[in-house]
Amino acid sequence: MAGTLLDIAMMHSDALITRAREGDKNAQGKLVQLWYKRIYNFSYKFFFDHDLAMEVSQKTFISMHRNLEGLQEVTRFRSWLYTIAINNCREELRKRKANRSVSLHDLRPGESEESFAWEASSGRGENPERQLRQSELSDLLQQCLMELSDEQREVVIMKEYEGLKFREIAEALRISENTVKSRMYYGLDGLKKILERKNITKETIGYEL
Amino acid sequence: MNYKPDESTLISYLYGELDAKETAKLQEYFLQHPEELSKLQQLTEVRNVLKVAEDQEVIAPPIFMDGPSQASRFWQSGYVKTILSIAASFLLLLVAARLIGPEISYSKGELRISFNQAAPIEKPVVQNDPTPSLTSHEIQGMINTSLVKNNELIATEWEISNKRIQASLQNNLASNSAKIDELMKVTSQASQDQVRTFVAGLQQDNLQLMKDYMALSTKDQQVYVENLLVDFSKYLQEQRKQDLMLFQTRMSSIEKNTDQFKLETEQILASIIANPGNTFKKVNNY
Repeated sequence: MAGTLLDIAMMHSDALITRAREGDKNAQGKLVQLWYKRIYNFSYKFFFDHDLAMEVSQKTFISMHRNLEGLQEVTRFRSWLYTIAINNCREELRKRKANRSVSLHDLRPGESEESFAWEASSGRGENPERQLRQSELSDLLQQCLMELSDEQREVVIMKEYEGLKFREIAEALRISENTVKSRMYYGLDGLKKILERKNITKETIGYEL
Repeated sequence: MNYKPDESTLISYLYGELDAKETAKLQEYFLQHPEELSKLQQLTEVRNVLKVAEDQEVIAPPIFMDGPSQASRFWQSGYVKTILSIAASFLLLLVAARLIGPEISYSKGELRISFNQAAPIEKPVVQNDPTPSLTSHEIQGMINTSLVKNNELIATEWEISNKRIQASLQNNLASNSAKIDELMKVTSQASQDQVRTFVAGLQQDNLQLMKDYMALSTKDQQVYVENLLVDFSKYLQEQRKQDLMLFQTRMSSIEKNTDQFKLETEQILASIIANPGNTFKKVNNY
């Protein structure tokens, strides 16, 4: 995850968080700009749904704005933000389960995301065929992730894609570090079986290390 | 050795978060249980595969947030707004009432709200004139006479206008029909002549076109047939030439074969003549 200017800015945003906590609207706006992509991607990987991810992201940042004054330690901002995000994700999940309705998107998952990814990445100037292949692979892996339980999925996403430390994940989920690691282990093990069943390996996807 | 690492330890090792002592212990365990190590390596493979899924690109939408101060929130809350709006309406009513002076009265089951000045309660006005200037009969007679006059006037005016209209209509009809007849005659004559000239022109054009076409096509056909004949004769000549060459080569090869055969026969005869005793043996050897 680290490497881009945005990531570096996120790592050194303590001063920004302090100013935002004191009510600096400019700083709050910058925090949203810095963290929106991460929270969106976390929610997207959790739901595999663009609309739900957008909804959760917006709710998370509105909640962040309202409760930032209550943040005790600036250094714990990251786990605090993910706590809000995961709570919103769980709330949306409850709503969806309560509704018991099947949307057209659920029937053909990934359809809209494909086009979205295509549009979003069109300006990169890369090979379109490669982009399409990449998008298909991402969707395939996303489908594998969706087969995990919610608890395992959230831990795997936080660790593998969001780069949180186990301590931070434990703080965000309000569980012990050992439980996080255990969920991680079973999550990866489950994914291994799913990938084997779908015959997805490093070689079949042409992944270059 | 009964040491068996739990999932938490294995994951810590996988992510390089295990301390040196525990790592050494685990490595020793892996030496004894290589299958556990391969299992862990498979999890590393899974991690590598997971890295293929890239982030989705997204642009943060503008999120408008209200100010954090409690005071502004209080003033902006719905209840306060409602109460303030009701109070403002009352105030407006009071000011308006002060300016225009309302009066509210209630009498005999009737509620009256009036502004500016108190209106006297209207009572039904009953006029009792003791000496009317005209009687009802006289009025009726006046109405009747005026109606009759009016009717007469209307009838005469209607008759006059009707006559005028009829006369003008007849005139118009007569003139229009005459014009139409004239026009029809002109158009029919003109159209007959035009059709004749058009058809004649068309025939002439067609004839000319046909002539041109025939002339051109015969010329083209002639050239085409000539070319075709020339090509065909060339082809025939070429074919003949090739056939002749083939025939010549065949002939020469036959000649050659005959010569060779002749030579061989001569040689055989010579050898028979030279060795009359061995002939039978050699023949038998074959």
